[in-house]
Amino acid sequence: QHGRVKIKSTAQQEEEKRKEREKKLKIYVAARDACFSKRKEGIWDDEALQLTQQLLSSNPDFATLWNYRREILMHLETVKDEDEVQKIYEAELSFLESCLKVNPKSYGSWHHRGWVSARLPRPDWARELSLCDRCLSLDDRNFHCWDYRRMVVKMSGVPVDQELAFTDRLIGSNFSNYSSWHYRSTLLPLLHPESPEPPSPCRKSPQTSPPPSPQTHSHRVCEEQLLKEYELSAWFYYRWLLGRAEREEMISCVYVSRDEERVAVAFSRPVNAQSVGLLLVLDGQPQRVEWRSVHPRFKHSPICDLPPGTISDITNEHNLTVHWTEKHTHRDCALYTGRTESYCRDSATDQELFRSELSVEKTSVLQSELQSCNQLQELEPLNKWCLLTIILLMRALDPLGYEKETLDHFQTLKEVDSMRSAYYSDLCSKFMIENTILKMEYAEVRVFSISDKNLTTLCHLDQLLLVTHISLSSNQLQQLPPQFAMLQCLEVLEADNNCIGNLEGLYHLPKLEEVYLKNNKISSLADLQPLASCPKLKRLDLRGNPVTQTANIGSELAELLPSVTDLLL
Amino acid sequence: MAEEESQFEEFEQIDFLRDRHVRFFQRTLQVLPERYASLETTRLTIIFFALSGLDVLDALDVIDRNVMIEWIYSLQVLPTEDQSNLSRCGFRGSSHIGIPYSTKGPGVLHPYDSGHVAMTYTGLCSLLILGDDLSRVNKQACLAGLRALQLEDGSFYAVPEGSENDIRFIYCAASICYMLDDWSGMDIQKAIEYIRGSLSYDNGFGQGAGRESHGGWTYCAIASLCLMGRLEEALSQRELDRIRRWCIMRQQSGFHGRPNKPVDTCYSFWVGATLELLDVFQYTNFDKNRSFILSTQDRLVGGFAKWPDSHPDPLHAYLGLCGLSLIGEPSLRKVHPALNITQRAFQHLQQLQQTWRDSTGSCSRQH
Repeated sequence: QHGRVKIKSTAQQEEEKRKEREKKLKIYVAARDACFSKRKEGIWDDEALQLTQQLLSSNPDFATLWNYRREILMHLETVKDEDEVQKIYEAELSFLESCLKVNPKSYGSWHHRGWVSARLPRPDWARELSLCDRCLSLDDRNFHCWDYRRMVVKMSGVPVDQELAFTDRLIGSNFSNYSSWHYRSTLLPLLHPESPEPPSPCRKSPQTSPPPSPQTHSHRVCEEQLLKEYELSAWFYYRWLLGRAEREEMISCVYVSRDEERVAVAFSRPVNAQSVGLLLVLDGQPQRVEWRSVHPRFKHSPICDLPPGTISDITNEHNLTVHWTEKHTHRDCALYTGRTESYCRDSATDQELFRSELSVEKTSVLQSELQSCNQLQELEPLNKWCLLTIILLMRALDPLGYEKETLDHFQTLKEVDSMRSAYYSDLCSKFMIENTILKMEYAEVRVFSISDKNLTTLCHLDQLLLVTHISLSSNQLQQLPPQFAMLQCLEVLEADNNCIGNLEGLYHLPKLEEVYLKNNKISSLADLQPLASCPKLKRLDLRGNPVTQTANIGSELAELLPSVTDLLL
Repeated sequence: MAEEESQFEEFEQIDFLRDRHVRFFQRTLQVLPERYASLETTRLTIIFFALSGLDVLDALDVIDRNVMIEWIYSLQVLPTEDQSNLSRCGFRGSSHIGIPYSTKGPGVLHPYDSGHVAMTYTGLCSLLILGDDLSRVNKQACLAGLRALQLEDGSFYAVPEGSENDIRFIYCAASICYMLDDWSGMDIQKAIEYIRGSLSYDNGFGQGAGRESHGGWTYCAIASLCLMGRLEEALSQRELDRIRRWCIMRQQSGFHGRPNKPVDTCYSFWVGATLELLDVFQYTNFDKNRSFILSTQDRLVGGFAKWPDSHPDPLHAYLGLCGLSLIGEPSLRKVHPALNITQRAFQHLQQLQQTWRDSTGSCSRQH
């Protein structure tokens, strides 16, 4: 009627389909059963090869059939002479090639090819490599092919630099070939057998042995200046190379205060206060003290109180030692006559907390890498990996010297990869805090000033145990987390113009006198509760916070914070 | 007028077409097109995708459960009278070997018949999804078959006759032991060593040592460790953080499986579930992920494809749904990220395991 083609009735169609399926099924079953009965009878002949070939052509993942073929081939090895065997295996390789043309990702086919190549009397590795070349030219990410190529290279003793040249060609034609880069990363250690394990983390469980130092390996590789390339694999490789080795666990700082009769301890790595097993020895006498963490929600960073009168007399000199019995390490601290406090600390530089010491050779290699990366960045201004690597190289070389460039690159990164801008903001915050700590140590002061740096998060607070004045003004902080309670020496806190709504960390800070929190997001009286635990708090600036709109805020605060004499609302 | 229509179309573009997907899976369970012939030996895995997909859609009522359960049991390789084939027991992928149909023992000895580790895994999952109590599964035989597949280096073959060996089959083995509540099926320590050895310098996992990092193998590694209950023991906090970073960097809009590869629907589950197991999935961008998955939805035939404007297939249809479930798509059931079945099926498993423990009167045999 409407020009539609007449279609066969459904029943007729169904019947035809059924007949066709049955025909196919008959052929399949016949071939399969023939294979199995031959195999069962131990017949390993050409017909068997034919039959299995037929079936495998349409289903190369029928593993049983590959196993049968292997049996046949192994049998033929025993009854034919070497030349004939060579021919048979070569035919096998041709057959496999046709299978791989149809399905280049068949596990069965690649597995079998590997088996065949290993048994061939006169293997032609050049041919195998050429197969890999062709396969990779069609799909350079085919990991089956890459795995096979690795095997071929290993078995044949193809020179590694020849393979490196191969990857050069691939990368030259396709810049973004991550698999080539990965392959390079496995080749380089072969060139330098004295280096530790190929670039992979340790194989044993983390508790039993320390990871191989990436620094040793990088020293070797960088010195050879083989890494001139700038692609994804290389970026990740760099990241790993420039990564920081695990720090030794030790006590990094001991602080003693006569006024509070308190001892505070900081470690090179976070350590659980309760379980850490510290022993305090005062003037040669072990003390019975209870170590606790500075904040109930934060288990690290232990402090303890000495019995009243132990060290309060300023005319007395005392020697303290804190023993970390588990790690067989300790720290001494002498409290001199006339001094109200004392401390003993390793600088962040000495501890290599933020970067490792570099040899002269390594420095020059990293510098040339940085130069090359910068050139690349001009060609590919939106390449986020390039930007990130430049940042990491700069931090490894000279964190303070490159501070401005680092900030600029982070800005670009956030625009280029906006989905991860929060991550970059936090990472940048971390680096700026590290720089400020370095500057503070260099100036030998106890003032930590980091305003107007777009800080989104706080970290390394364990390095600020001795800080007396801190300025965090004009940033984007949202909270002063429990870790903030580590700032046992803090007297003045400036944190105006942030987004702070949470003051959890201002908890039992014994010396805290002045707190400036103008233009933040403190919204309720409950938010200010922690301040009540700070006994010496005198000055508090809360202007520009929603909480100031609360009814009777003045009198509420007077009740909550009786020691505060100077209140700005 | 035309403008209105195209606006309506655009709105439809991001619509989730539940009914189409139900019909897609129904068709999968009835007949598969010829191009799937090469998957015949692994047919049970396709069944699993369809069944679990229907479960996620809360549409299991469209199939006849009993028929399916019987068919799955017909795939079990059972011990023979003299128990001489124990190391070959488990589930097979389909009837392609030609064993006569039978849902109960004793097993028939056939020289080339054996279980396949991925079929045993998907077979058990499928039975659980269908509400079966696994009472007809010969657990000891399955575990014996599993033990026979593990190599010295900790990895597993797929079949006792031999095949390639890698981290995928460790995941299947771990899932089997977890479901059967019996870890005597594998040497956990060796498996963990193999897994650790597969961790690449760039902090993803390869199929084995020295191989390229890949989202699928990373899922196998992390999910296996979680099922074994050894995640924090096998990997340090530093390593875990680095793995998190590698995984999170896989998101481009949807997720890809390896750097510089195009995004592919299935990785919304493989990488998404890994991130979920590592407790950081909430930091990914849900909107972009959802938009990508839905862009691969086939509006006519149902199901999802790996890329937009491509043909859908059961694997991507199922994993696309799982990817959506992870981000909380309203009409979908929640998926257990390590076991890759719905939470509902998982609860059924937990109840079963409780019954088993109560009846033996002892604690489960854990490692």
